[in-house]
Amino acid sequence: MSAIDFSDPKTIAFLTEALTAAGVDGLEISSASGNLRIVVSGGESHVSHGVKASSKPAVIKAPMAGIFQPRNSASADLPHAVAAADVLGFLRVGDVLVPLQAGHSGVLNRRLIEPGTLVGFGDALFEIEAQS
Amino acid sequence: MIEILETGPFNTVQDLGRPGYRDIGVSASGAMDSLAVRIGNSLVGNDEGAAVLEIQTFPFRLHFTDRTVFAVTGTDGNPVLDGIELPAWCAFTAEAGQILELRQPPKLARAYVCVAGGVDVPSVMGSRSTSLRGGFGGYAGRPLEKGDQITVGAASTNIPLPASGLAVVEPSIALQDVVPASPDGTLLIRALPAGEHGLFADDGKAFWDQTWRISSRSDRTGYRLSGDAIVPTQTVEMRSHGVVPGVIQVPPGGEPIVQMSDANTAGGYPKIAGVIECDLWRLGQARIGSRVQFVRSSHAEARAVEKAVERYIADLRQTIPMVKRALKAMA
Amino acid sequence: MIATVHTHMQPLTVIPVVKDHARISAIGSRSFLLEAPGEFDLPAQRRIWALSQTLKGWTDLAEIIPGMTNLLAIFKKTPDDPAEVIDRLSKAWHGALSIDLAGKTIEIPVHYGGQYATDLPALCDLSGLSDREVIRIHHEATYRVFALGSAPGFGYLHGLDPRIYMPRKTVPSLKMAKGCVTIGGMQTGVAMLTGPNGWNSIGFADLQMFDPQSPTPAMMAPGDIVRFLPARIEL
Repeated sequence: MSAIDFSDPKTIAFLTEALTAAGVDGLEISSASGNLRIVVSGGESHVSHGVKASSKPAVIKAPMAGIFQPRNSASADLPHAVAAADVLGFLRVGDVLVPLQAGHSGVLNRRLIEPGTLVGFGDALFEIEAQS
Repeated sequence: MIEILETGPFNTVQDLGRPGYRDIGVSASGAMDSLAVRIGNSLVGNDEGAAVLEIQTFPFRLHFTDRTVFAVTGTDGNPVLDGIELPAWCAFTAEAGQILELRQPPKLARAYVCVAGGVDVPSVMGSRSTSLRGGFGGYAGRPLEKGDQITVGAASTNIPLPASGLAVVEPSIALQDVVPASPDGTLLIRALPAGEHGLFADDGKAFWDQTWRISSRSDRTGYRLSGDAIVPTQTVEMRSHGVVPGVIQVPPGGEPIVQMSDANTAGGYPKIAGVIECDLWRLGQARIGSRVQFVRSSHAEARAVEKAVERYIADLRQTIPMVKRALKAMA
Repeated sequence: MIATVHTHMQPLTVIPVVKDHARISAIGSRSFLLEAPGEFDLPAQRRIWALSQTLKGWTDLAEIIPGMTNLLAIFKKTPDDPAEVIDRLSKAWHGALSIDLAGKTIEIPVHYGGQYATDLPALCDLSGLSDREVIRIHHEATYRVFALGSAPGFGYLHGLDPRIYMPRKTVPSLKMAKGCVTIGGMQTGVAMLTGPNGWNSIGFADLQMFDPQSPTPAMMAPGDIVRFLPARIEL
């Protein structure tokens, strides 16, 4: 099976339609060449492509599909320092919550997904600037 | 092995109790918040009724001598593992030598430390619960003390706990549709009228209408309630009869007593009401000094709540291993 | 919820049935208390024992706790229809023929008087009897274990001579010793635990009557016959 070109507008339109039909708010896909993020809002889709930088910050990815619940839903306090063992949020599957640990100590810069969004395996959730 | 480094009084080993011996005068005992025990055990891969530590005086510290999967449930405070604050209602793996600390929870009364394999004390009359009054069960029939070394049972090894741990949506949130809430924070507890309800004026109006304060003379045996005394309109001579946790008796002074987990097996004071069993875990988390009001319920409502709680637990017991397997496959 | 049960004469009973009503009330969501009508006596208790036997066949019951002429039935789950449960209990009460339990005889040596008999003087005052008479009346009677409860292995004993009835204290003794031989109203018994106790102590029995490690933890069982033997009288 050939690789899907996520930069193809047709693919993006198809995914957007599928997400809207499924009642899903957004999607983020990481691949070797970069990542694709689609956020569905009011029938319109916003697409952003990112190109991976060589000295990229650590990204916390979803270990499985679930509804994203940051532990602290307010993002106003970002950035802030985190320890490797800190739990930044959860993925909710039914009434079970999968903790999302920082895994690295550093500075939590960004939350990449809105709370309450259904995410898939591998979706990027948080960005942490490693401490040097 | 778990070693107790610091503890207050009246922290004990508990499980879901030893019902079935009330007919020979033995209280059922068991955790004050049984739901927290069932959930904590489900998280760490145990049977629902494995023995746990019930912590009701803080601070409490213990030392894991071996790598141990554990979860702290029941409390609204966060456990601290080697100085790192962790979420409650979440199973983690502690490494050998790590120290778990429980601080005074913000609002609730009791925390439960559940470990994979369960707290391994001898089973007495079918339970590992401590009978404080009888001086048997639990850890040597007494509350935990500094320096106690508690054996942990062999953990089931079929599905490992994910490295990042595993948590649940706590029952006060997951079950909020079936749990009454008051705007001012008074704990609303549902109860059914009991045998002598009719002896109190205006159908016990003064009992149902006021908010009671849980007095300082309250413990695992029972909660004494402070408020405007309620007195029956006639005195009756009662013969001793069996009682269960949740029964609300009114002694001559007029201040009701709610029997709790270590409830006496027999009673003889007039009974005005009985708390529905599915609200006992919520009452078990009420602190001394907090306010409670009783709400008149029905068997139909009690049954509906019971079903909702059982559904929640059944879903957790199905979903937890499923999520563990999925994470293992994707790791 | 409170219901009354009207009983009819049971032609097969050996002991006449009380033609009064039993009372059934709820304690919380899954427990129901049935209280026998009539006197606090052996015939009433025999029907409670019979009811208890009948209920042992009910698969939806978790526990059966016979009390003093009453019985608490704890169901495994909250019944969908409490009226149906009350009706079933009523029918079982109707059908409960008096039975006598074949109990064993337990002899308990007692040290009457002495340091543990803290309430003997008060009982003499109340009854107008001498301490010797109180003790003789107590040990000459034959008692029946009606039910167990209140403390592990504690047997409520029926058969106390009315001359030595003594009401429970309004302010309990804070630390009555395990083994104290006590009177509470029209009942007598042996304290099973050291602790607060509202009954009146007239002596002491040094006998192990509860062992949680044993397959049958309680020495006493409903129906047992109990005699107190005056091992020593210290006045």
